[in-house]
Amino acid sequence: MKRLAAVVALLGIAAASACSSSGNTNKSASGGGSAVYTTIDGTKPGIDPNGPANPFAPKGNSFSGYNAMKLAWAKNHLTDPNQFYPGIAESWEVAPDNSSITIRLQPDNKWSDGKPVTAEDVKLSLAIAYTQGSTAFALQPGAAGAAAEVTVVDDKTVKVTQDMSNPSQTFARGVLDTAVVPAHVWSSVLPADIWDKIKAARGTDAAAEAARTEITELGKKIIAHNPGKDVSAGPYVLERVNPSAALLKKNPNFYNAANVAPDAVQLLNYTGNEQVWNYLKAGKLDSAPFVAVPADTMAQIKQTPGNVVVKGYSPVAVGLAFNQSKKPYDNVHVRRGLAYLINRAEVQKIASPEGGLPAVTTTGIHQKAAAEWLGAELNNLEPYAHDVAKAEAEFKAAGLTKKDGKWTLPDGKPWKVSMHAPAGFSDWLAAQENIKSQLIDNGVDAEVVTTADFPLYQTEMAEGKYDTGFWLIALGPAPYNIFQRIYGSANGWTNIAGKVTHNAPGKNGNWMGSAEEIEVEGLGKVNPGELTAKLNSVGAEEQKDLMLQLAKVANADLPVVQMWDYVNTQFQNHSRFTGFPGDDHDLLRQPHGVWIQLGMIKKKA
Amino acid sequence: MTAFLRRLAGHVARGLAMIFVVATISFFIVRNIPGDPMLALYEKLVTSGMDPAAASQAVRVAYGFYPSGSLWEQYVDYMGGLLRLDLGTSVTNPGAPVTGVLAEASKWTVLPVLAGTLLSFLVGVIMGVYAAVRRSGRLGDILAISGSLLHGVPQYVLALLLGAIFGTTLAILPTDGTADILIEPGFTPEYIGTLIEHATLPVLTYALASYGGWILAMKSSVVTVLGDDFILAAELRGMKRSIVFRYIARNAILPLFTILAISMGLLFAGAVFIERIFNYPGLGLMLIESVTNRDYALMGGAFLLITGATIVANIAADLLYTVIDPRVRSGEEAAA
Repeated sequence: MKRLAAVVALLGIAAASACSSSGNTNKSASGGGSAVYTTIDGTKPGIDPNGPANPFAPKGNSFSGYNAMKLAWAKNHLTDPNQFYPGIAESWEVAPDNSSITIRLQPDNKWSDGKPVTAEDVKLSLAIAYTQGSTAFALQPGAAGAAAEVTVVDDKTVKVTQDMSNPSQTFARGVLDTAVVPAHVWSSVLPADIWDKIKAARGTDAAAEAARTEITELGKKIIAHNPGKDVSAGPYVLERVNPSAALLKKNPNFYNAANVAPDAVQLLNYTGNEQVWNYLKAGKLDSAPFVAVPADTMAQIKQTPGNVVVKGYSPVAVGLAFNQSKKPYDNVHVRRGLAYLINRAEVQKIASPEGGLPAVTTTGIHQKAAAEWLGAELNNLEPYAHDVAKAEAEFKAAGLTKKDGKWTLPDGKPWKVSMHAPAGFSDWLAAQENIKSQLIDNGVDAEVVTTADFPLYQTEMAEGKYDTGFWLIALGPAPYNIFQRIYGSANGWTNIAGKVTHNAPGKNGNWMGSAEEIEVEGLGKVNPGELTAKLNSVGAEEQKDLMLQLAKVANADLPVVQMWDYVNTQFQNHSRFTGFPGDDHDLLRQPHGVWIQLGMIKKKA
Repeated sequence: MTAFLRRLAGHVARGLAMIFVVATISFFIVRNIPGDPMLALYEKLVTSGMDPAAASQAVRVAYGFYPSGSLWEQYVDYMGGLLRLDLGTSVTNPGAPVTGVLAEASKWTVLPVLAGTLLSFLVGVIMGVYAAVRRSGRLGDILAISGSLLHGVPQYVLALLLGAIFGTTLAILPTDGTADILIEPGFTPEYIGTLIEHATLPVLTYALASYGGWILAMKSSVVTVLGDDFILAAELRGMKRSIVFRYIARNAILPLFTILAISMGLLFAGAVFIERIFNYPGLGLMLIESVTNRDYALMGGAFLLITGATIVANIAADLLYTVIDPRVRSGEEAAA
């Protein structure tokens, strides 16, 4: 009996510990008849119940669009990275020469503790941005698009000027894409002379280096900071968290609170896609951002009453990248031959039937953005449509020979296309298995090698260990970011403070192994890394010209064969709420909290 | 008593030596896992839309949480910290002490695994006795087959099966986490109810997965005891069936107590697959995440906790045996 009592006591202690562990407060947010919006945060798998309400902490319980606010929300427009929806900022004005941006804050916005949101909050948040790393708030001397001065014009207006020694077209984006936190909660984390330190850090001498080190250390302090009770200027404020979910209740001080329909939001925890599928099949989620879903699961999700699948543009594509340091991939004819041999439509249908569109050609740009950037010129590029005869002609031009139905290297040795992908990337692995079958059917020996996980994949790829591997490209909307993926550091070009240098294949992370200059028909010899770097600073017209040149280089030289362009497939359940954005709406590229804060989502009558 | 203390001191000394060896080995293994977390973080940030230059700076900040210095210096720091029970800070939860992260995750592992172990032990032992006593009958066959079957089915298969039946098809039990967030935490029937509801499937899976082992072990032990002379003597003396049954159970259960004590040490090893499938935030899930993020301090801490608990449980099992089995105790006393 005593033993039984001991066991019961043990279990009691454990239960008590579990009961008392959860939650930051002990108030309940859900009253009778209240409308609770249920979703997941696509950027935060694995909610940590002990995480602070800190937007800079990777495991923090600040959720973008709900209780974490930015100055404005980037639209990720097809070609213009500087389009935004309002956030903490009501409006903004960029100087005609792009030398400054003047930001006006929402006039009636207050923090959840009742204090007004002021320009001082923004100034402190911009100082924090320097500690965390940001395009506009970079500390490296000469960094492109860096801010030079931050001035509080009045209580609701802030002006940020750009260092025009190396300007960037994305300066405004860099500034507006900044998280804003309350100065009265966060000011104690930064030293009083933070702006002096920032100024010193932008120099080139030893003192500047010391200041940069000091600011980087401050960055760690910011990430680890626990501000205690959540103070939010967003539509919601954190109520409590447990390992299953985070509960946020409506912030009555939010400037647009009158149009925020859900009384509370619960963000469910997940650690893998399977859990999201289960939530969707059970009809639990009012909305969910993009999650890769196999075809049979998608059919089950669609059967759930109220579930609706919507699709929009997603500025990313995936391609089969070659290591040109390795033979025979140094020969452009081999790369072209493989481009002709692989039926991309079939690959996409197998690997990403709901989440992708087969690449119409290889430009390095997502096909939707390519249509905007290149216009009619897109049709003049080689589409590399599936054509076995053309593939064989290219292989022959590369000196490959076919013996007993199998292609061999010019020296007669066997050739095997070795493709790599990290474990868990099911769509990539399915795609490579399909490519393997297609290649083997056409006499090219092939294999798929799975790497244990993503960090190892990245390391081995950077070390040049793979012949070929899948690689994300076309990361829009900023044009520099798009081509930086194929003509950036992975392919030898380093851009430091606008100065571009090229590392030899196999050196300093150049695993793609392109030559520094490439001969392209109609363009002559071009240095694509330099062209890419220019995208940062030139005007819109010149950008368009550069994008066309780079697309032609990527199309002719094929450092990557573009496989499919991702589609932003999202899920909504219309049973409890209405007003969701439909197909192709640019709000599909926003955190769903932005839909709510803009007043779109309404309770179903 | 002196013999017992001497035995205890020996165990503790050996245990500490083993913990030192395990800490050293796990330190070097963990830090030699290939794969650069910085490259992976950079790639993740860039592909989520961050500008490459900004991503580089962000990675530099995050990198500050990784241990620096030569491997030897890191080892000296680590062992020094260990003496102060300081296991370092986590990278996955930047700046958070590893001991705190482990403590938080441990309770969600220990609770269901302990409940599952005790439940399976209780049911398995009782059914094991029945299976042995009625081994020639249909009931004995059914119990033995059920034990063999469940012993052979991997935990993750059982978890998927139970999740599909109770979580998806019948939709009567949750498969996501520990409690309903809409219920206010506290010592209320509602909140305790939601905790139990969420723990049911993980506990049931763990119990079913371990039940087979207990029933088979108990059956085997009982069959051995049934052949002992004292059982025959008791039956010949005409003792009541229930008393004989108690004699059998008491003697047969002794080896199982040792296994139970060792199982307690494995509480912290948890059930990685069960936690992953039911999204139960215990040590298993934490370990997966720490490996993915190459969170050396957290990985090292988790391995140390698991091995430390196993060593302590082994010592406890050894000592327990001297307490519960008078034959061992009297042997020791005689030797002293």
